[in-house]
Amino acid sequence: MKRRDFLHWTAHGLGGAALASLLTSDGKTAPGEAADPPPHHPPQARRAIHICLCGALSQVDSFDYKPELTRLHGRSLQSSERPDVFFGQVGLLRKNDWDFRQHGQSGLWISDLFPEIARVADELTIINSMVAETSNHTPATFQENTGFRLNGFPTLGAWLSYGLGSETENLPAFVVIPDTRGQPAGGPINWSNGFLPARHQGVTMRSQGTPIDDLFPARDLGPDADRATRDLVASLNQQHHAQRPGDDALAARIRSYELAARMQLAVPEVADLRQETLATQSLYGLDRPESADFGRGCLLARRLLERGVRFVQLFSGGSFGNPRINWDGHENMRQNHGQEAPRIDRPIAGLLRDLRRRGMLDDTLVLFTTEFGRTPFTQSAANVVGTGRDHNQYGFSVWLAGAGLRHGFKYGSTDEIGWKAEEKIANWYDFHATVLHLLGINHERLTFYHNGIRRRLTNVHGDVLDEILA
Amino acid sequence: MRWLLGILLVVVPIAASAQDRQFDQVVAPLLVDRCIDCHSGAKPKGKLDLTKKASAARVVIPKDLKESTLWQQVEAGKMPPKKPLSDKEKAILKTWIDSGAAWGTDPIDPFRITTSRRAGYDWWALQPVKRPDPPKVKRQDWPRNPIDHFILAKLEAEGLGPSPEEGPLTLRRRLYFDLTGLPPSPDDALDFLKEYQAGNKPHAALADRLLASRSYGERWARHWLDVVRFGESHGFEHDELRKNAWPYRDWVINAINKDMPYDAFARLQIAGDVLKSNDPDSIAATGFLVAGGYDSVGQGQQSAAMKAVVRQDELEDVVGTIGQTFLGLTVQCARCHDHKFDPVRIEEYYRLTAAVAGVRHGERDVTAAPLRLAFEKRLAESRAKLDELRATLADLEKPIRAKILAERSKIKSGQPVVKLPKAIARWDFTKSGKDEIAGTEAKLHNGATLKSDGLHLPGGTSFASTAPLDTPIGAKTLTAVVRLHNLKQRGGAALSLQSADGALFDAIVFGERQAGHWMAGSDFFRRTKDFEGPAETDANAVHIAIVFHPDGTIAAFRNGVAYGKPYKSANPLKFDAKGSMLLFGLRHAPVGGAKHLDGTIVRAELYGHALSPQEIAASAGVASDYIAVEEIVRHLDGAGKAKHADLMRAIAQAEVLLAAPPPATRVYAVTPRAPEMTYLLDRGNPTQKGKLLGAGGVAALGLKRFDMSVDAADADRRRKLAEWITDARNPLFARVMVNRLWHHHFGAGLVETPSDFGFNGGRPSHPELLDWLADEFVRSGYSMKHIHRLIVNSATYRQSSRFHADAAKRDAGNRWLWRKSPLRLEAEAVRDAILSVAGQLNDAPGGPGYQDFKLTIRGATHYYTPIEDDTPALYRRSIYRTWARSGRNGLLDALDCPDPSTVSPRRAVTTTPLQALSMLNNAFVLRMADRFAGRLKKEAGNDVGKQVMRAYELAYGRRATDEEIARVRPAIERHGLAVFCRAVFNSNEFVYVD
Repeated sequence: MKRRDFLHWTAHGLGGAALASLLTSDGKTAPGEAADPPPHHPPQARRAIHICLCGALSQVDSFDYKPELTRLHGRSLQSSERPDVFFGQVGLLRKNDWDFRQHGQSGLWISDLFPEIARVADELTIINSMVAETSNHTPATFQENTGFRLNGFPTLGAWLSYGLGSETENLPAFVVIPDTRGQPAGGPINWSNGFLPARHQGVTMRSQGTPIDDLFPARDLGPDADRATRDLVASLNQQHHAQRPGDDALAARIRSYELAARMQLAVPEVADLRQETLATQSLYGLDRPESADFGRGCLLARRLLERGVRFVQLFSGGSFGNPRINWDGHENMRQNHGQEAPRIDRPIAGLLRDLRRRGMLDDTLVLFTTEFGRTPFTQSAANVVGTGRDHNQYGFSVWLAGAGLRHGFKYGSTDEIGWKAEEKIANWYDFHATVLHLLGINHERLTFYHNGIRRRLTNVHGDVLDEILA
Repeated sequence: MRWLLGILLVVVPIAASAQDRQFDQVVAPLLVDRCIDCHSGAKPKGKLDLTKKASAARVVIPKDLKESTLWQQVEAGKMPPKKPLSDKEKAILKTWIDSGAAWGTDPIDPFRITTSRRAGYDWWALQPVKRPDPPKVKRQDWPRNPIDHFILAKLEAEGLGPSPEEGPLTLRRRLYFDLTGLPPSPDDALDFLKEYQAGNKPHAALADRLLASRSYGERWARHWLDVVRFGESHGFEHDELRKNAWPYRDWVINAINKDMPYDAFARLQIAGDVLKSNDPDSIAATGFLVAGGYDSVGQGQQSAAMKAVVRQDELEDVVGTIGQTFLGLTVQCARCHDHKFDPVRIEEYYRLTAAVAGVRHGERDVTAAPLRLAFEKRLAESRAKLDELRATLADLEKPIRAKILAERSKIKSGQPVVKLPKAIARWDFTKSGKDEIAGTEAKLHNGATLKSDGLHLPGGTSFASTAPLDTPIGAKTLTAVVRLHNLKQRGGAALSLQSADGALFDAIVFGERQAGHWMAGSDFFRRTKDFEGPAETDANAVHIAIVFHPDGTIAAFRNGVAYGKPYKSANPLKFDAKGSMLLFGLRHAPVGGAKHLDGTIVRAELYGHALSPQEIAASAGVASDYIAVEEIVRHLDGAGKAKHADLMRAIAQAEVLLAAPPPATRVYAVTPRAPEMTYLLDRGNPTQKGKLLGAGGVAALGLKRFDMSVDAADADRRRKLAEWITDARNPLFARVMVNRLWHHHFGAGLVETPSDFGFNGGRPSHPELLDWLADEFVRSGYSMKHIHRLIVNSATYRQSSRFHADAAKRDAGNRWLWRKSPLRLEAEAVRDAILSVAGQLNDAPGGPGYQDFKLTIRGATHYYTPIEDDTPALYRRSIYRTWARSGRNGLLDALDCPDPSTVSPRRAVTTTPLQALSMLNNAFVLRMADRFAGRLKKEAGNDVGKQVMRAYELAYGRRATDEEIARVRPAIERHGLAVFCRAVFNSNEFVYVD
């Protein structure tokens, strides 16, 4: 069936048969199914890795250099308004716990919290002026991923799967690699298809053990018996279809079993990290206990992208609670960030280097985000310099790297103490609009009809941040 | 010029009224369509508001095109800027100005008329339902009922014809899956066929039988639960499980099975607790209002501004769901501004939120009064019995106690006697729950019980609390004699002094920062030091005291001896009179999370100053008059031991009776509160309050809007809302529902967007049929079963599903229904069919759902890890699954089960390799294939031909041909029957219904 016909069909509600027919297409790629299909303009990037730090990374301890904060250490916040913080405690200002230095030719300021990432500073495009709509972790994480604070909306990866499809039939378009210590709060809601068809949901993959669920029979049936079942399925379906010629949905289902067989070969292959040289493994920190875990995830992510997966999302950090296994440093920043950063620093730097040397960074995006930032004042009594920082939605930092970006560039800024974004304020809508733009998508044109509205990732907002584009 | 205009308007009033109409019907719609997006509102472009006559007069000069700036701009193609007017549109303006530019209704109401970009009051779905006569058709022999007249007339008009009737066994399978979601039973297939061949029309009778079966409600309730975003957990960060959300699901099943009239069905879901306040079922029906997510963290946060946003999000969920479910109207789109596409104003949106402003999430106790009274009587009797037993025991123990204490005092003699200072409060829970000083009773919560050895706190969310304390408290000492049930537990408190909201507290905490260690409550990480005392190893009662000195020093004592090292904290807490309360077992409010103790509190004391070490020792010494039961028993003689044991047993039994939970029938439903004031919020922003609004409806429906006063009671608001929605003249109410029924029978509705009949939704393929059905629905007393019967007995429904290339060329989407589209079973129907065919379906009706996950709680966050277990408890119909929002099921998801966080009036049907892998390899499917094989052997013996025949009857609802048997025989003989059974589950014929 021609693409136009297909679109006509979806528009008239025979989505089922039509979607299925995607699988019968002769082309090598499974295209997206958006009504106004991208690319809307020539794309800079063809794929993306999204590294999500759960719990909120402190901007003033990592990517937002604030010398004034050092000077004001131990003073109280001078503000006309009482800060509206999550736990209600506003202590004294606290200087950064890690020293900042300038790095690379660009001279970007990055703290010693991320010494390895600092060494690839010239690859980064840092946004220092992000703001979020809430300082409550889970709604903020939903917004970071879906643009909305509520449950039930599709995530960036699901939108890309819908808009761009996959470049391979053998692997899913959208893969999620959760932190091995635990899933983020909300679990699968964080990679939900929302109201998009279920096939756009993120497929969780593990970097150790069985990579995805139900890839092989839950118990060993023996190769002959397994083969026999497949042959029988094919035979039953061929006969059934022969009596119902013309029904594309039935043909698509037959084809899905052929593709499943190919996926059974492709997934173990991509997940076999031993195929990489020891030098590469070392580049990702696989040989160090603190970074081996996240390093495996990063390496798997690169292998997935290489084979045509559209979007890989890596989570650093899991649920909230005690003991902390994420970036939520309420009690003690040194202890918390000091524990989390070494897990990811070398793997991420290694990933950027590896993508660069393979030439993949020319058409791959790397996104490094966190749901919001942390307060420059501590979470403690009013006359105390505490050791922890509370949630801060008013100013925080994220960075991007790769295709189509101005490298070694810093965009926007917060006030002198790193509390509130002040100059060139950017929000998630802008961030998402920019990411889509780099992938050849006009964020106002990638839509899906749901209950009365042509829904967008960016709701009714979003401006592409032109200044960070190359 | 000006005065001339005045004269014209005055002198030709009659002509003007015709011209007014002309303006309203032709000119105004054009202005609305093409001009007023920019030229109206609070800040119109160029300060020109073309909805207002006075403003327009600046640019429209009657009978003078040259002076009319409007015309000059339009003619030059400058306005509208992006897409100039067509010649026809220009001509309208020209004629209008030339003929005097008469103005009709002033100002123009942009909602009045539908334009090319938005719906007005004249939108098709908003017009009253009119019952059309079934149209005439050429092929008079085809129609079986009026539905077919509408369908055939359209087919004939399109140059198409209907497909022939489907064969009887295929129709039978279609009816079964369609009406019950289960495969047909093979055992009466032959009877059905005989009846059919005898010309006895068993089709209608079968439909009646299926509609009368319980499975019908179980099937169709699932469709409804999709529409209303039914989930059984909160979602968001903590995703707390709602243990008692299932009564709503059962209510829906039962209501559908009883064929409850749809208007009553709707009314009870909006206001069941108001309309039938004594009926537990009707209260459960309001589970509809709160079936969506609930952001418990957002509601509990410190930031008031963000809390207000969370509440507005919650109201949008409720109002949006009501609008889409019952009206097919996306009213929630008017939260920030007037609806961009449908005639709903922002003010009307807020009037609707006012109607549900009393709606709050929560659990309600709906226990019937007689049950409760009987329970209370039983309780009183047990209590009296227990008192008696305890008194007898005390008499028996008294001399022994005296003896033991006498011995103890001998050992301790020589120590200085320190008199204990006066405490603020003191409890001996072995005696009662009363504060021995103030005489007030501690309140027990969530499973806390008083037993003879103290206050039992089984963990979970159990705790006890006091009323606010009358005394102001600065320096303080907390002491408790506590027996830990489990030394590995983390984070509970024996005793806590907290501010009423739990924001400030001093507490005796166990194992929070370090497992096994006692510490002072950390008060939200302000005091994070440890005493560095040893880990607790004693499972018996210990006396713990923590002293809070005025200078901030905090010291701890265990059994009267210093525990670890004291340390100094900043800002010691002070509480005003009535500003503090005591908690037993809970670190601080709110309830939940890792803050509850699993232990028994024997005694507890609160002092209003820092006790000296000597005083602590004395307090602990008092505690030492606690004597372990074992020690008493050791001192008894043989007969005494036996009597003691009997008494203890009797007491334990009586305590069990006392601890029995009340017959609480709890349901997750609306727990109304006095509604907050509702303001129009500019841009939806809670800080931008506009005018105060009372509850009311949407004018576009053509009904009275029921505007209420701003202080109306919640009950009145929701009652009115329910009446307004179910008004027989409501044009949307019946239309939307009959379309849902049609949608599920045919895979697509007459309107393809079942929850949106607005401008962005689909247009009806057969508008007359939709109206005829809607009218029929109302006339039948809103009987859903009546509509089902009409549909499934129609010739349209009974058509063959075979594909025809010629027809497909004209109508690929089968919009005109030239065949019955084959349908892929939904996820739940696939799973239920597998269970049924394998002979494993557990047909237990209703009640708490099965849980195919392991629930772990970390912090307060609930995690749902899928589990695989071979037990009939999990083999119930999928509608009885517990649908936690983050607890999804891989197999069901692969088959397009929707996310319960979002309303799903129409499910996607996708075919993916991951779905194939799930169906092939999932542990459940493999096990069921084995069971299916076992069943075949049992029912068909060892003959492969008979086994295959039985498999076809069970799985496909038909007999296998010889050729089909021959084709699969070699594989079965070589690899076993299960290999074939697994293939059957994966076959297209199994998951598709013709």
